[in-house]
Amino acid sequence: MKNDEPLLRRRDFILGGVAIGSVLAAGAILPLGLVLRDDEDLAQGIGGVQVAFFPRTKVGTIGQVSTTDPLFFDYPLTAQSNVLVDVGQRAIGGIGQDRSVVAFSNICTHMGCPITDYNADERVLGPCVCHFTTFDLAKDGQVVLGQATQNLPRVLLELDGDDIIATGVFRLISGYANNLGGVNVEIAAASGATTTPSDGATDE
Amino acid sequence: MSDISTNNLPAQPASVPLPPPGSTVRVTCCEYCPVACGYKTYTWPVGIQGGPAADQNAFGIDFPAAALSGKWPTENMHSVVRVNGELQNCIVIPDGDSEVVNVGGTHSVRGGALAKKLYTEDGPTADRYTRPLLKVDGQHVPISWEAATDLVAELSRYTIDEFGPLAWGMKIYSYQYYENVFVGSKLALGAIGSPNYSPHHAPADGDDVPGLSDCGIDAFSAAFADDKAADVLFIAGSDPYETKTVRFTTWQAPAGVPIIYVDPRKTFTADYAEKNGGLHLQLNPGTDTCLYNAIAREIIDQGWENRDFIDQYVASESELAAESGWRRQRFGQSFEQYRDYLLGRDEFSLSGAEQITGVPADKIAETARMLSGGSGEQPKTVMLFEKGLYWSHNYENTASIGSLAVLLGSTGGEGRAISRMGGHQRGGQKGAGYPIDLSPHEYEGQKIEMDTERWFAEGNTRFRWIVGTNWLGAMGGTSALRRITADLISRGPAVDSTDPAVAVRRLKARMDEGGTVIVHQEIYPNESTDMADIILPAATWGEEDFARNNAERRLRIYERFVDPPGEARPDWQIFAEVANKMGFDGFSWEDSNAIFEEASERSAGGRRDFAALVEKAKADGKRGHDLLREFGTQGLQTPLRLVDGELVETERLHTDMKFKSDSGKANFVLPDWDAVANRNGILGPNTGAGELWVLNGRVNALWNNLFDNARRKISTERWPANFLEISAEDAAERGIESGDLLSIESRTVLDQLGQAHTGGFTAVAYVTDTVNPGVTFTYFLYPGSPANTVTSADSSLQPISLRYNFKLGKGTVTKIGTTDLGDIMSFAPRNLARVN
Repeated sequence: MKNDEPLLRRRDFILGGVAIGSVLAAGAILPLGLVLRDDEDLAQGIGGVQVAFFPRTKVGTIGQVSTTDPLFFDYPLTAQSNVLVDVGQRAIGGIGQDRSVVAFSNICTHMGCPITDYNADERVLGPCVCHFTTFDLAKDGQVVLGQATQNLPRVLLELDGDDIIATGVFRLISGYANNLGGVNVEIAAASGATTTPSDGATDE
Repeated sequence: MSDISTNNLPAQPASVPLPPPGSTVRVTCCEYCPVACGYKTYTWPVGIQGGPAADQNAFGIDFPAAALSGKWPTENMHSVVRVNGELQNCIVIPDGDSEVVNVGGTHSVRGGALAKKLYTEDGPTADRYTRPLLKVDGQHVPISWEAATDLVAELSRYTIDEFGPLAWGMKIYSYQYYENVFVGSKLALGAIGSPNYSPHHAPADGDDVPGLSDCGIDAFSAAFADDKAADVLFIAGSDPYETKTVRFTTWQAPAGVPIIYVDPRKTFTADYAEKNGGLHLQLNPGTDTCLYNAIAREIIDQGWENRDFIDQYVASESELAAESGWRRQRFGQSFEQYRDYLLGRDEFSLSGAEQITGVPADKIAETARMLSGGSGEQPKTVMLFEKGLYWSHNYENTASIGSLAVLLGSTGGEGRAISRMGGHQRGGQKGAGYPIDLSPHEYEGQKIEMDTERWFAEGNTRFRWIVGTNWLGAMGGTSALRRITADLISRGPAVDSTDPAVAVRRLKARMDEGGTVIVHQEIYPNESTDMADIILPAATWGEEDFARNNAERRLRIYERFVDPPGEARPDWQIFAEVANKMGFDGFSWEDSNAIFEEASERSAGGRRDFAALVEKAKADGKRGHDLLREFGTQGLQTPLRLVDGELVETERLHTDMKFKSDSGKANFVLPDWDAVANRNGILGPNTGAGELWVLNGRVNALWNNLFDNARRKISTERWPANFLEISAEDAAERGIESGDLLSIESRTVLDQLGQAHTGGFTAVAYVTDTVNPGVTFTYFLYPGSPANTVTSADSSLQPISLRYNFKLGKGTVTKIGTTDLGDIMSFAPRNLARVN
């Protein structure tokens, strides 16, 4: 990806989470008030609110999703690892026939450690290896017990036929000041979900 | 496109502004638990923000922040506040460079959201009190500070002159900042000289852990480093993961030290202990003393006691007889007396104790072996405990665990200690001594501190100043106390005029007719403030320069970095203004630093001794607070000494093997099981009537009485209602499922005068294996769910120390309906630990 190439174009994205801080351009976030070079509509936001636009990305198919073995995918940026699972009951934000398929960032919102332990019986992710926070994936990533001050960021999902499309992320991803912003960040490719998290997102 | 699921998306930004380089940085510590993690605050004008590159933000790091960097400001670490009237961004973030307490900037869910404590005019803290209020015709209306302090001073003077100083009472936080506690107590105990003074958590002033103190051991002798240095940890009556989080995650768990965990509930730490080489002793409520006695007896039976320590440092019978303290004289024991007591009772045999405590005999025996090392080398043992232990049975539980520590020689050395873990931080430097001779209460001829709640309930208190506590909710027998208070404030004529001159006449007339005037100094409305005639708005954490210690005696500064809301004033200023209007000398300070410096003199000789700091500051031409600030979030561990002009800290106490007794030796204290068993018989559930134990305590995401957390989303989303943990068996018997609404009630709660009355509350069922059948557990101060309605307020049950048996509530549990909380609130197990 070349540094001077615009990363995001309006036609590529739909409205995701609302971000009042800043928007992404050319690998770094710009403070509010600076104009995006390539798309003035974006910079003006919608209804006076600055918004962040996320890439629509296919992350898997409904048939791949398991109630016992979670899948992992990066979204919206590389190294922003997420878990995709069928919690086996209606879940807040769930998609699919039973509204039971959900995806969350699996980077602990306490201090950034990756969590890969999924307890299918209790539908919880955790305890985190670092400070033992546990999150309820059926209840919007709520902290069951632990030290995170925020639920896990939930990946907004749509079902398009059998395809699961990620369209945005609700809540701040651990380590970031802005979900799309940082130094040397890049958009994750639509490579699909796998059974192991990407580099930098394992709990070793 | 189909099946879009973006339901339940509250408006919430997915970004947090970064402080730009040059932001104002201040030093503070977490406001909440006694661990007191170090924090830094960054403030800068709104409309500006830093960028993600290291040279663009005040943290000096590239974003995204790396895992465990301690430099990621979450959304809950940000607020928009006022600084000198100007709107500013504010980030309150753990000190990522910290090498003590919260090493590397770790934090709990409570401290991690400190920024949300800050006052915002249009946010969840908008209901902070901002102006003095007077209740006129049942409504609180704003009045001026001048009128408010005139009223308090005049009514105080009238009370003292007409009814005597014992009719004038103050109920006040014991733990708050040195500067506030010092001035409040200087007024109440010194200038006014009233024994009608008690802390937020007890009906009487005085020692909370008298049994341990009578062993000669300081309750805060250990350092956090001792947890790490120990070979085995013994933790009773407090879940450290939930309530002293960073002590657990930084100082206990990473060391891999096996934990013997004592708790009637199988909490997270219980599960953690069992999965990581330790034990969970799941005792029946109220049986601690029997358990510790049985462990001690097994150690003695096996000859595993610390013979060297006992021979050298434990007082003999004749030495004890020469002690001046009446409690030690009466209850202190030599090794032989202690041994004979333990060996003489079948209840303390392994099988006898199993029957009483419910802890299997083999676990008791294994505990004895782990703590003593058995026939091998003696391990270093740290014993830690808190309110689950000493708010069950006060004197005997602290005596029995203290005696066990003496038996092991776990009394002060690296990795060898017994300490409280603490409930609050340690800011209780009083400005005057307690006038014990004036107390109307005694135990077998010995003066003890006044039970202020009994005194109040008897109608003896005509004026009561409540400072920084949800008094009615926090005391036992809440229902009775509320009814009594409602009666006492309704005597005489109603206040029907906003004219302070009229109001003061009406309130004096109420006192004349046996009623009571209530002044409440607070930051938020709580369940007691509606009873107040006058409300005084207080400034708090972050709104004034303060100092206090944590549970390892670490003294730090808590700097001011935001404006107090409206006209709110620091407590010390309010006390001082009233004292001055009453004509007392010695209440003129130009700022909180001047109080800190004065308080240092009274701290001398004690565990919080910071006189040397102030002495050095003066020698260096500095203010005391300013010198303390130079030590940042690391602070200094007290007591402090000056050696060759340099400050020397004290990491842990009793390393010199000197104990707090006349002889300088430690001793055992009679761990009297009969007194406990008798009390359990009175307080325990009437199982024939279907009653269960109703235990209570703190919960991770909630803090004490929810004063801030009721206004914090991360807490109220997790706990939209109070809950009652109940076993699957007890739930099934009553047709209860998680999410059902329950009534918890007892008809035999003892009130302040020892009379039975009915108390109860409602809560949502949380069916769990955390509690055994027969036992339930609830959060103790959820707004609208006053759990202390089912705990006793009869201090005569514990006549030695006049403490309540807060942790031994009881009641019937009945389903009264359902809720839809199951849709949004997690009912997943909260006790799932991992092998580390």
